Amino acid sequence: MMKYVCIFLLSLLSITKTGQDLYTCKNARITLFSSALIEDIKAVTSSGVSVYNATTGELNFSVPISTFQFEKAFMQQHFNSDYMESDKYPRAIFKGKIQEHIDAAKDGTYPVNVIGDLTVHGITEKRTIQGTVTIKNGIVSTASEFMVKCADHHIDIPQILFYHIAESIKITVSATYNPYKNIP
Amino acid sequence: MKSLLTILFLAISTGVMAQVTATDSLFNSMSSDKQHGPVTIFESSRLILTQSTETIKKNNLNVLVIHRFGDAAGNLGGGKTFFGLDAVADVYIGLEYGLTNDLNINIGRSTIPTVGGLVSGQLKYAALHQTNDDSSPLAISLIGQAGVRPYNTYSSFGDRWSYFGQAIFARKFSHIFSFQVAPSILYNNLPEPNEPGNENAIFSLSATASLKVTKLMSLVVDYAHPFSSFRNNNTGFSDPLGVGMQVVTGGHVFTLNVTNSRAVNEMNYLSNTTSDYGRGQYRVGFTISRMFDFNHKEKYNTKR
Repeated sequence: MMKYVCIFLLSLLSITKTGQDLYTCKNARITLFSSALIEDIKAVTSSGVSVYNATTGELNFSVPISTFQFEKAFMQQHFNSDYMESDKYPRAIFKGKIQEHIDAAKDGTYPVNVIGDLTVHGITEKRTIQGTVTIKNGIVSTASEFMVKCADHHIDIPQILFYHIAESIKITVSATYNPYKNIP
Repeated sequence: MKSLLTILFLAISTGVMAQVTATDSLFNSMSSDKQHGPVTIFESSRLILTQSTETIKKNNLNVLVIHRFGDAAGNLGGGKTFFGLDAVADVYIGLEYGLTNDLNINIGRSTIPTVGGLVSGQLKYAALHQTNDDSSPLAISLIGQAGVRPYNTYSSFGDRWSYFGQAIFARKFSHIFSFQVAPSILYNNLPEPNEPGNENAIFSLSATASLKVTKLMSLVVDYAHPFSSFRNNNTGFSDPLGVGMQVVTGGHVFTLNVTNSRAVNEMNYLSNTTSDYGRGQYRVGFTISRMFDFNHKEKYNTKR
């Protein structure tokens, strides 16, 4: 009996050793856009990082809030200190899983639904985010556009400010991946 | 056999865990926070009496209006002057421009009628920034200022000049509390006030604390002490002390304050603060700071 248990456990062990197709991106471009009465507010960063696991379909993103570049220096300051409190919550993070099957060996653009947790301003929301995964000559890239409601993430809009951001912010994400080689 | 089984089980369970977190562990290692960005220690380049370590960013123009009303109480205060609001002790109107993110040029004019006004020019350099990862635990800014008094009667043109140098050391201790100390040296070509025994050069030390009470409002306490044998309570001098509330409104910063010092400029309030809280010689004052950004909007699309 013990022998069979051992064999069974050993066979499990061998499964865990199978390799995984991991892809990484260190310069994901993320923009935010707020349409407002007086002036539109936009910001961009290329400092997002992303990991895509082609075996499990896991797709994670992380962006340092303070790297967003605004048109005006004081907007950037208020964005960090008054809205996002980036010293307390330095990153926005999304951890999700692609629902559809993607054949990384086959070129094409796959529309996908990614279900996961979006953490912004320290508040985590369960989200289903639509996007695309593109495979071209073996290069993986992802793109998405979605809305984030300030209220969902407890981002207060101070009434005393002379400009206001919209209640919903449009976020666009684009990332191109490199295969991750795990050299021990 | 049992122990072998335990070892196997442990090996497998860690193996399974490794599989589950293969994505996460790589992700976590990639998104570790190695931020070196400068910390914004104060919301404005001006506190109440003292300037802060903050500089105006490149191609930004800061328009400053700093006002000190008359004595709120004492002989000159009370209801007949509407607690000093009828009178003007000093008004400073100035422009501050960012040559680079770390180097500012500033020009301004003070009313201060007792010494014939003051026109001052200044360079301010942010020599060191505090960083998020504490690789630099504090910020240091350096100020060099020259001022000339255009009115009143002076025996020579040289007597109208004063020079001021200051090093400001500031740290944001928590997301609500910031503190700075600023040693400075002031040189008046003609001692102010021009009395026997008064020194030309005055060394002084300023200390300022800022406490955020709401997201947009901070309580500020600002104090300066000139180390001068001529200046003491017996000769009628007081240390300048200000308490105020700073409100940020996006592009504007307002400070409403109470000070004993009548003058706005360092050269004047360090030389000659004779007004004392005990004699009712304190006043309401305010600072308005309005920021204009001259960076082209197209820059948003390019890498900055």
